[in-house]
Amino acid sequence: MILTKTEIHREVENGNIAIAPFFPEQLNPNSYNYRLGPKLKNLHPAASLNEELMEEPATEIPAAGRLLEPGKVYLAQTLERIGSKKYVTLLMGRSSIGRLGLFLQLSADLGNLGEGHQWTLELTCVQPIVIYPNMVIGQVTFWKPKGEIMYYAGPYTAYSEPTGNLRPYGGVSP
Amino acid sequence: MILTGPEIFREWTSGRIKIDPFVPSQINPNSYNFRLGSRVAYYKNRILDPKVRQEILYVDIPAEGLILEPHSIYLGYTEETMGSDSYVPIIRGRSSTARIGLFVHITADLIDIGSYNQWTLQLHAIQPVRVYPGMLIGQVTFWCVQGEVTLYQGKYQGSKGPMASEIYRDFSEESAT
Repeated sequence: MILTKTEIHREVENGNIAIAPFFPEQLNPNSYNYRLGPKLKNLHPAASLNEELMEEPATEIPAAGRLLEPGKVYLAQTLERIGSKKYVTLLMGRSSIGRLGLFLQLSADLGNLGEGHQWTLELTCVQPIVIYPNMVIGQVTFWKPKGEIMYYAGPYTAYSEPTGNLRPYGGVSP
Repeated sequence: MILTGPEIFREWTSGRIKIDPFVPSQINPNSYNFRLGSRVAYYKNRILDPKVRQEILYVDIPAEGLILEPHSIYLGYTEETMGSDSYVPIIRGRSSTARIGLFVHITADLIDIGSYNQWTLQLHAIQPVRVYPGMLIGQVTFWCVQGEVTLYQGKYQGSKGPMASEIYRDFSEESAT
């Protein structure tokens, strides 16, 4: 089951959903609008799953905007810390952004039950597009799971910076 | 919880799901196949700035098909007008569409509860792809909610045909406050 606007709001107040900072006006009928955080990283041109370090250092997105080019993957972050130990979080873009041809995530929309952090976004664009820090760019939904709850034990929630692949060789030792 | 095909049919019959036109043979085990409407739009500008209202141009998809090029984003729409006050719709491409490298939406699969439209599709082809008017291009699923329902009253309500992004309004509202 997907949580409605009123239910997301209630569960934020109950402490069962973490969204910080939280503004009720960013609630939609069945999701919450998140903002783009200030940091952005480029991937190295020849990134592969088998490299330890594939991204360049994070830079600040200027207030005047940053032009993204097609054919590249950029790692960005949500402005908000987002997470829940009770509901499963899914992350997507707003349709207003999708209509401009900007991907916010690449095929991996599923969050884990566990602690909150600033989520890493995978940006890629079909046509060149300008992005601005703090712009309302995407949405998260919250889903009630069935079954005993198991918390995320992987590496990513420790990071709120845009974070590249931390599982070289797909997490399997070479 | 996701609705099964027979439940989608039952809830369409009861009026809690709107799909118009509705063709029972387009029901799948847990989704409904929607069709591509007969025109697409594309942006006049190559570089897209969300702060600026972007002009779009329309092109009709002829019966013999229209080739979508990889370097452009195209806005299509569902032939069906769809929505629900009781369930949350989520859209996606059919796997048959994905297998030829065509995105039907770009990272925005979620429809607000209470939103009734011909939904705008964000078409993006990895390789050139030919599309046809009325082709079965994607699927909609319906999901049960937890909590009291607030219906959508946003800027895309009631839209027909491909609708350009209205995100520039965010920025004008920001500067106005």
